[in-house]
Amino acid sequence: MVFPDEIKNFLQSLIKAKKNLHLYPDNNPIYIKTLDDLYNRLATLLDSQDDITLTFKQFDIFYNSELVYHNDDKQESLALFFFKDGVREISFKKGIPKEEFEDFMKIISSDFERELVDDDVVTLMWEKDFRFIQYVVDDTILLEDEGYEEMATKQVIASASSEDQILKAYEEAFGIQKAPTINIVPLTNEDLRNIVEQIENEPLDKSDKMLILLFEMLYLADGQAEFEEITDLIKSAIKYAVEHGNLKALIHTLKSIKEITDKKLFPEKLLIILKGVEYFCNSQIIIKSFGNVLDQGIEYDEDLIQELSQVMDSSAIPHFVNILGQLNNISSRRTIIRILSELGKKDIKLLARGMSDRRWYVVRNIIYVLRQIKDRTVMEFLTKALYHPDKRVKKEAIRAVGELGDSSAVQNLRDCLDDEDESVRINAVKAMGRIESPLSRKYLLEYINNSRFNEKSFTEKRELLLALSRYRDREVVETLTRMLKKRSLFKKTKLTETKAAAAFALGVMKEKSAYNLLKRFVNDKNTLLRENAQMAIKRLGDV
Amino acid sequence: MSESKGIELKGKDIVNQLAVMIRTGHFHTLENVAVENAIKRFLEIVNPLFHEEDYIRIDLIGEFFYINDTRIRYPIELLLNFDFLIREFRRRELGTISFVSPLKKEEVKEFLRCFLKAAFSNTPFETLEASLERIDSIQVEKLKQIKEDETIDKRKLVKKTYFNAVSFTRGVINKIRSGEKVSIKKAKRVIESVVDTLLAEESLLIGMTAIKDYDEYTYHHSVNVSILSIAIGQKIGLHRRALTELGLVALFHDIGKMEIPVEVLNKPTAFTEQEWKLVRRHPFWGARTILKLRGFDKTSIQSAIVAFEHHLHYDLSGYPKIRSRIPLDFYTKIVSIADQYDAMTSSRVYSRVPLPPDRALSVMMDRAGSQIDPILFKFFINMVGVYPVGSLVLLDSKEMGLVYECNPLLADRPRVMIIVDERGQRLKKGNVVDLTERDTEGKYLRSIVKTLDPNKYKINLAEYLL
Ligand SMILES: [Fe+2]
Ligand SMILES: [Fe+2]
Repeated sequence: MVFPDEIKNFLQSLIKAKKNLHLYPDNNPIYIKTLDDLYNRLATLLDSQDDITLTFKQFDIFYNSELVYHNDDKQESLALFFFKDGVREISFKKGIPKEEFEDFMKIISSDFERELVDDDVVTLMWEKDFRFIQYVVDDTILLEDEGYEEMATKQVIASASSEDQILKAYEEAFGIQKAPTINIVPLTNEDLRNIVEQIENEPLDKSDKMLILLFEMLYLADGQAEFEEITDLIKSAIKYAVEHGNLKALIHTLKSIKEITDKKLFPEKLLIILKGVEYFCNSQIIIKSFGNVLDQGIEYDEDLIQELSQVMDSSAIPHFVNILGQLNNISSRRTIIRILSELGKKDIKLLARGMSDRRWYVVRNIIYVLRQIKDRTVMEFLTKALYHPDKRVKKEAIRAVGELGDSSAVQNLRDCLDDEDESVRINAVKAMGRIESPLSRKYLLEYINNSRFNEKSFTEKRELLLALSRYRDREVVETLTRMLKKRSLFKKTKLTETKAAAAFALGVMKEKSAYNLLKRFVNDKNTLLRENAQMAIKRLGDV
Repeated sequence: MSESKGIELKGKDIVNQLAVMIRTGHFHTLENVAVENAIKRFLEIVNPLFHEEDYIRIDLIGEFFYINDTRIRYPIELLLNFDFLIREFRRRELGTISFVSPLKKEEVKEFLRCFLKAAFSNTPFETLEASLERIDSIQVEKLKQIKEDETIDKRKLVKKTYFNAVSFTRGVINKIRSGEKVSIKKAKRVIESVVDTLLAEESLLIGMTAIKDYDEYTYHHSVNVSILSIAIGQKIGLHRRALTELGLVALFHDIGKMEIPVEVLNKPTAFTEQEWKLVRRHPFWGARTILKLRGFDKTSIQSAIVAFEHHLHYDLSGYPKIRSRIPLDFYTKIVSIADQYDAMTSSRVYSRVPLPPDRALSVMMDRAGSQIDPILFKFFINMVGVYPVGSLVLLDSKEMGLVYECNPLLADRPRVMIIVDERGQRLKKGNVVDLTERDTEGKYLRSIVKTLDPNKYKINLAEYLL
């Protein structure tokens, strides 16, 4: 036997739980504990009887005709919450599984003001098809016209067949010919499979199909006003589609507009209206919501992204550049970079303009995109970026210049060798190595001969000598061997590092003449030098 | 607390395996290894449940099996086995099998022997019951005949749901006409009650769709198409949420007709070419109205697609003419079958002479594969039967009646409401007979010999249902 007071307390906990479940995600410990506690309370109540039935009035809840809850606050009232959608009774039956109870709690703690404008609490319960929670609903709130049923019934009966007609039918029935009956073909497993397949293939979002039909509707439109109406619908559909991650819809639209425009399928003034749709597809609104979708973690097929970047207009470039700085996920930024690497080709200057963005990471990404595009026309912008205050941008720019640049860029790269950051200098050295030109060679040699060279780190020295090793002329070989032979009493460690770097470079050059010299160090007590010398000898042996 | 879940989950497996066992028993001797295996598998499913249950009871009520009072839901892949078992139960007038203690292999084998044998008896249930007396663990009960006063209550409920839906539709269309906002929440609730009623009383509700020839045809047509679409959806195993969506979408398929002038729409004579042009625009108008009114969301997009496509046909040969060769939407395929059937059997659509239900079906049969999806149509025709609800039939007993409830398992043996008796007397309050009833020698008491056109005599099943 459950007493009304116990129900009272249970309802109070339920209201508290309703708030907690609304606040926390379902893997949060508070959520889990709240739900467990409440479920256990209910289960305990159901230990002593088969069900617990609550009845609802506008602001009151009753249990066994005792008032167990009252609240007339329109926002807060649990009674009103159920009552307003027509719920008059709810009962929980013994044996209710936790999952079912959780579903119920999820429904009543969802935000009806915002999330689910189209579903009321009864619809949500109905969809769950609960087995241990039963409810009684008063459907008269749905009635449009209470007298309708009676009126309609009368009307049907008034138009009912007369006795004469029925008897006439009976009389004639014996005279008519027997009609052939149709054969019903029984369903087969094949049919079932076909249907299951059709159901499984139903897409969640059909806005791409909707757009195909909206374009059909353009052809059916009667006059400019209707045409404009449909184009407005197309715009809304595009917005919806992109918000729901349906890129096919966007691609289809852009392709269709292109086809219509190319083939001049409509008179000029209508084509101008369509231009507006194309403009919209490439607008900031659309690209922004595409970015949001990406950040929610939706992933796309390579091919689809490729197709999208081909059909979009260059006017979208600045918007893509803009969201590049706003997206949170690496993978979404990567997608945008992929798009820009293709779309950017349509207007490289416009893309490169993004390099004046205040955000260093945007600039770096754009430089990366430009590297992908491999177009020399942007050298001017890249060269400028070599002097960017952020070293991360600088490095990306140096890499790009190294890949795309010619000897004319070497002068600017040389300036980077003076940078106080080692990684910048190393990148510059590498880039200069890539651009094989007399000027590069000249600057690299100058750098070595600089009195401070010995002070640099092993890595920097190695990279530099490696860059130099591309020039296999006498002067370079002599410089390297001279280094290897050098002896000094001071700064011995630094000197050994320089020697190790020189040994490494000679090995890379496969410089036979250095064989004997290198041999001297293969048993050196300094590990770095010894190993680099051994490596070089090995390389020479491969020749 | 998980006990009840266990048996619920196993319900479909038990019924399915019971069907497999009986089917295997039909083809082989009971000593065959295939039968042995089927029995073994059956025991593996059933016996463990006795840890938690005192008994396992399988009831056949209407079209559904229940296990310990919970309706068994099953995936569509098992449909044929379930249908088979319903037939086997009905053939023996068997309503309930209870297992009251864990089963032994020999007992199940013996049960199977008795079960198979009983089918050849003129009093199959009694034969089965008597022969099972020796087996303590298995009990059977006879299939319950539906009582008259129960049907009256059911009819009331069905009638209420139907007219509520019609009145709601009328309200919605009037609201749209006057530019008011329509509550989709309410619409969903109305459709949900249609789905519930359909699951409980499919035949009666489909019987209500016979209401067509009537001043408010537009609203009735919308509701009829919605009911028939949901019925198809239910048959092919759509889940509840999808059924509501399908029902909603179907309800608004002809919303574009609102823009056709009433004088044209209700014209008693044939349309002129100009008027046809107007009528053919209703799919376009429909899609536009829905999108303009509701904006874009999942349901409005689905509704607009169906409104636009519902006369397009499976092979796209219909109207409006379109340029792309796109496959018809799945929901459109369902709705257009329901639409064609309801439109063909009523007189108000495009001033056409209405066809009797069985004629309409045979016309549609010719269109299956071209204008209509052939497989969905197969489901449809299996659902409505050779003699759909509302057909006017003459029986070999010299009685005349209206098909009242179809029998999905014996398509030519529906339940029939007799309106003229064998002496030619009109019966005002029809008596419903079941054409599967047999005499003591096993011969059917009544069979259909001819069908007549109910429209020709203005005989409408609906008037008997109210
Ligand atoms: Fe239509
Ligand atoms: Fe229609």
